[in-house]
Amino acid sequence: MIFPEGSTQRTSVKAACENSYDVVIVGSGVSGAIIAHQLAEAGKRVLILEAGPAEDATLSGYEAYLQRFYAATVKDNQAPYPTNRNAPMPRSPNVKKIPVGQTDASNYIVQKGPFATDSVYTRILGGTTMHWEAKTPRFLPEDFEMNSKFSQGEDWPLDYATLEPYYRKTEREFGVSGDVEEQRTLGLPFPDGYVYPMFKMPHSYLDQQVDEGLAGTQVTLDGETYDLKIRSFPQGRNGIPNPKYDGGKGYSPVGAVSTHQVDAGERCQGNNNCVPLCPVQAKYHAGRTLSKALQTGNVDILAQAVASKVHIDTDNGRVAKIEFKYYRDPNSTEFETATVSGQLFVLSANAIENARLMLASGLESTSGLVGKNLMDHAYLLSWGLMPQVCGTFRGTNVTGGIVDLRGGSFRKRQAAFAMDIHNDGWGWAVGSPFSDLNSLVDDGSQFGKGLRQSLIDRISKQLLLAFMVEVLPEESNRVTVDPNYTDPLGNLRPVVSYKIPDYTLKGVAYARGLSKLIFERLGAEDHTHYAPDDFGYVLYQGDGYNIRGGNHLAGTHIMGTSKDSSVVNSVQRSWDHDNLYLVGGGSMPSIGTANITPTIAALCFRSAEHMLAQLA
Amino acid sequence: MSLSHIKTVDELKHYLYLAIQLEHATIPPYLTALYSIVPGTNSDVSHIIRVVVVEEMLHLTLAANLLNSIGGSPNLKGRGFVPKFPTPLPDGETDFTVSLQKFSKEAVDTFCKIERPDTAGEGGSRHKKKTAEGTHLTPVPHDDSLSFYSIGEFYEEIRHGFAQLHSELGDRLFCGDAKRQCTSEFYYSGGGELFAVTDLKSAEAAIELICEQGEGLGGRIYDDEGEISHYYRFDQIRQGRYYQAGDTPHEPTGPKFEVDWGAVYPIKTNAQLEDLKGSDELHGAAVAFNQLYQSFLVQLTDAFNGDPALLLKAVPEMFRVRDGILQLMHNPIPGSDGVNAAPTFEIEGVD
Repeated sequence: MIFPEGSTQRTSVKAACENSYDVVIVGSGVSGAIIAHQLAEAGKRVLILEAGPAEDATLSGYEAYLQRFYAATVKDNQAPYPTNRNAPMPRSPNVKKIPVGQTDASNYIVQKGPFATDSVYTRILGGTTMHWEAKTPRFLPEDFEMNSKFSQGEDWPLDYATLEPYYRKTEREFGVSGDVEEQRTLGLPFPDGYVYPMFKMPHSYLDQQVDEGLAGTQVTLDGETYDLKIRSFPQGRNGIPNPKYDGGKGYSPVGAVSTHQVDAGERCQGNNNCVPLCPVQAKYHAGRTLSKALQTGNVDILAQAVASKVHIDTDNGRVAKIEFKYYRDPNSTEFETATVSGQLFVLSANAIENARLMLASGLESTSGLVGKNLMDHAYLLSWGLMPQVCGTFRGTNVTGGIVDLRGGSFRKRQAAFAMDIHNDGWGWAVGSPFSDLNSLVDDGSQFGKGLRQSLIDRISKQLLLAFMVEVLPEESNRVTVDPNYTDPLGNLRPVVSYKIPDYTLKGVAYARGLSKLIFERLGAEDHTHYAPDDFGYVLYQGDGYNIRGGNHLAGTHIMGTSKDSSVVNSVQRSWDHDNLYLVGGGSMPSIGTANITPTIAALCFRSAEHMLAQLA
Repeated sequence: MSLSHIKTVDELKHYLYLAIQLEHATIPPYLTALYSIVPGTNSDVSHIIRVVVVEEMLHLTLAANLLNSIGGSPNLKGRGFVPKFPTPLPDGETDFTVSLQKFSKEAVDTFCKIERPDTAGEGGSRHKKKTAEGTHLTPVPHDDSLSFYSIGEFYEEIRHGFAQLHSELGDRLFCGDAKRQCTSEFYYSGGGELFAVTDLKSAEAAIELICEQGEGLGGRIYDDEGEISHYYRFDQIRQGRYYQAGDTPHEPTGPKFEVDWGAVYPIKTNAQLEDLKGSDELHGAAVAFNQLYQSFLVQLTDAFNGDPALLLKAVPEMFRVRDGILQLMHNPIPGSDGVNAAPTFEIEGVD
């Protein structure tokens, strides 16, 4: 995929300010890229403001991320990405437990708690899709009707059937490898004959061992019985093209992005490094969509431009301009302030940054809901040692899991979840394989052949189950701003207050019970341990659990049917300011049990259609 | 005027065996140069050489499809399939030799020669006397003293052979079992799809793809699909600059890139097992590599003889091949004053 050379330098602060654009987009992640591409293809003039630096995407630039990752002593999910004080990003190794009633302002995101989240997002060209895992499940139809069906949470102002064609657009854009027939068994409707662009990622040997060990296992919940089966997850990475895709036209995988023709990334090699960076670019990232947008010649990118205020024309309530702080050098906090304008304005900087920017501009909305209803999937990890070698650390981070409990009547009372089988051992839970090496050497005094064998005995048998539990919107879970907390450029930092709802904790507790059953059936040794001093420690009915953030931030500019009860409408347009769109996870009234990026993308494809109609 | 043309299906099958052998023969020299580059340096050069290797594998698979289409049985595991290096290739009037050597200006010039064949021209002979010793890769059947003028002429002969035999036999020429054809599910490459060969049209398309992308006549920078040919890929290394659409030959205007000619392991050129006798470990590793490579060729042969899905196993073997090569190249030969080992590719083959 060719990234047009020089396209990140097409404009300057002066030129951008003087130009009149059809659309100004804040953020070059997947939402902004999709909207920019759709609008630019239709001949509209687009400006993207990106807080991070933006050099032309080249293979060597990408490899600089790889080199930084290899050299990092702590390989967290932001390890490849350079620190930039002017557009700071949250980083998970720094997260601390929040003492009751106190505020932790030691990191970019100020956390008031009580729950300390380690969720992050990446402020660079291409956004968080550079580091995402790239699972691409669709929401279930019932996820859009939580209130009507389960008297929990909120209904969406649109349904699965309305979004379905946009899911298909998304699956083409991302290049999804998956099996539609398997997804149908979950009750997901697809048009007859539809297949994903590429065949599903094959199950790992570990998946197969778990599947065999669990054969015939059933659980009963709320009077319904569920057969547990290992199914593959649809994923946005390159696999074997399905010749039946697109009415038999097939599909050509899109690989690495660079300013010259490169042939890399056309197929996943199983490097097991999806998060935080695919070494070969077999995984979709928004750079691909940005490239297409830039190829039209209608898109300007102004990088190192941190949006700081949305200005409203008080006469008509429309957005007049967006003010931003432009820093010439990432190593210096010197900046100049300028404003840009357009016909339409799109905030696509993610649920936390969108809310932060609105609140920093004094725009709480008529509903007062900007920043409120913050949601993020709660992850419960459970880990054990299989009785046999299972060949961990191969394939994508996750290939299979149990999704039978994603939906059901039990959701009237407790949260649903999707369960991943992690191919990368206990990494997420305890830091394997480095932690294993350290303990075998330091505590076990092992070396040489004995050490090698012990590593095999330990690491190759590791089974990590990750339960992604749904969270409902609660107004007290929110993003606010506070003049006491600013970043080096003087921008207000996001202040997060977050508590895991009981509905979710009930699901968490159930998930822990299920993991014990699974380990028992597999003959695996349960090594799960939840330390009370862990930053994510939560007590529920006398039992403690360590909860991890899902990096699936949502809800902070919730969509709905009226301006009193929501911030945006079903096409993500602000009720209060008719030339303003707030797009991304922030618009979602529920997060269900699906990684949210494909639904975000589907919503943005739909919004782009409406923007074009509005500009016509 | 020209001598014997392909007259029988058996002759065409033999030429296609030679084509597979020829496409494969460039892989050891390209891999040797590629992996001699110090990791973390010369990223652009590495990607260029790597994509050429991947495309050579595509070409050799297409050649296997061509052979299978007329009822042949590709054999990559037999005696003499892997040439002894240095190996001669024809370049017009004189031959040149291809060595297993580290990445260098000399190596890149050689690669350009391989990929940029000369034409015999109107009235010129397609054949000529060999001027270099050794088993030639483009021999003229029935006359041991002759070689093809160039690789391009060699493929012209194959193209002619298909057309000639099809005009005599019709579609009966393509009597091969379609299930033996390898398609793009089983192999992926950057430039060009792998497709089944089942008739004259697809046969001509396969030959055209091999020639346009690789060592054929024609000499355009980009083919009809916008893929850049091997010669110009390598030329980019000499120029330190990428080509882009619309460029004139030898005047690329794309992004520039750095080449660090010195960031290369000092490996022995055309290393042989004999050279490594002084170290049991190195010798053992080199022998193990040759065995690994032989088993890779066996896997390919099995894939090409009725089990295309085996390619899905064979392709990951390339990672093991890489590891075996790196292991040798990163180690000095004791007592050789700073020369490192290298894979010897002395593959005997099995009958």
